[in-house]
Amino acid sequence: MITIQHDDVDIGKLITDAKQRGMGAIVVFDGIVRDDDIREMELEAYQEVALKELEQIAADATKKYNLFSVDIIHRIGRLKVSENILIIIVGAGHRKEAYEGSRYIIETIKAGVPIWKKELRKDGDRWVPGEHPQGTGKFN
Amino acid sequence: MRHHEEENEEETMKVKVRFFAQFGELLGTDIIVEPASGTVLSGLIKEIAQRNKDGYNAIFDEKDTFREFVILMRNGKRVDTIDAVTTNVVDDDEIAVFPPVAGG
Repeated sequence: MITIQHDDVDIGKLITDAKQRGMGAIVVFDGIVRDDDIREMELEAYQEVALKELEQIAADATKKYNLFSVDIIHRIGRLKVSENILIIIVGAGHRKEAYEGSRYIIETIKAGVPIWKKELRKDGDRWVPGEHPQGTGKFN
Repeated sequence: MRHHEEENEEETMKVKVRFFAQFGELLGTDIIVEPASGTVLSGLIKEIAQRNKDGYNAIFDEKDTFREFVILMRNGKRVDTIDAVTTNVVDDDEIAVFPPVAGG
């Protein structure tokens, strides 16, 4: 499942559904809202483009790391502290590919997928600055 | 007659410009415009951004060129801001303008 959505997901079910014959490892990345003295976090996406890019990242990771399965769920909308933002579930034959595939996916998402976060703070709102100033992720 | 036809073509050209994150807050999120034939990407964005001084200054510097962190897309594909001065917009284009991404 590759999706951008408001609702949370059942990570346990995703793990169960991901399991398949020959798989030896599943790595779960769960990015959550950190309590940086904020009330909530608001996430916005250029949804049509971001979804295509997530699909491309999953396809690239599958090929590069010989993955059995990839699930990416990126949430948007208003989220409270500790809520899930991004869930990546990667299944592979062995832990090495699973870890490396997961790392590749999260870093590539952060580098270029058009999604933004705004911290709703007690002392005013603030857009979170991107880690990659010129959006270095090239997908097109 | 020919002139009249050209005018009609210009009237029917529609382009959607989408601003995201802080740019969207300052300039609006989805803007439909009807640019004249031959309008380039940078000119179109400049014209819209001039509706709000803070929005303009967020995207363009004091020399009226794109700030280096601004990202442009045309129909879902990235366009280098340097190429925006020579890229014509055409009917049904969707242009996106946004700051560095911060997902994940």
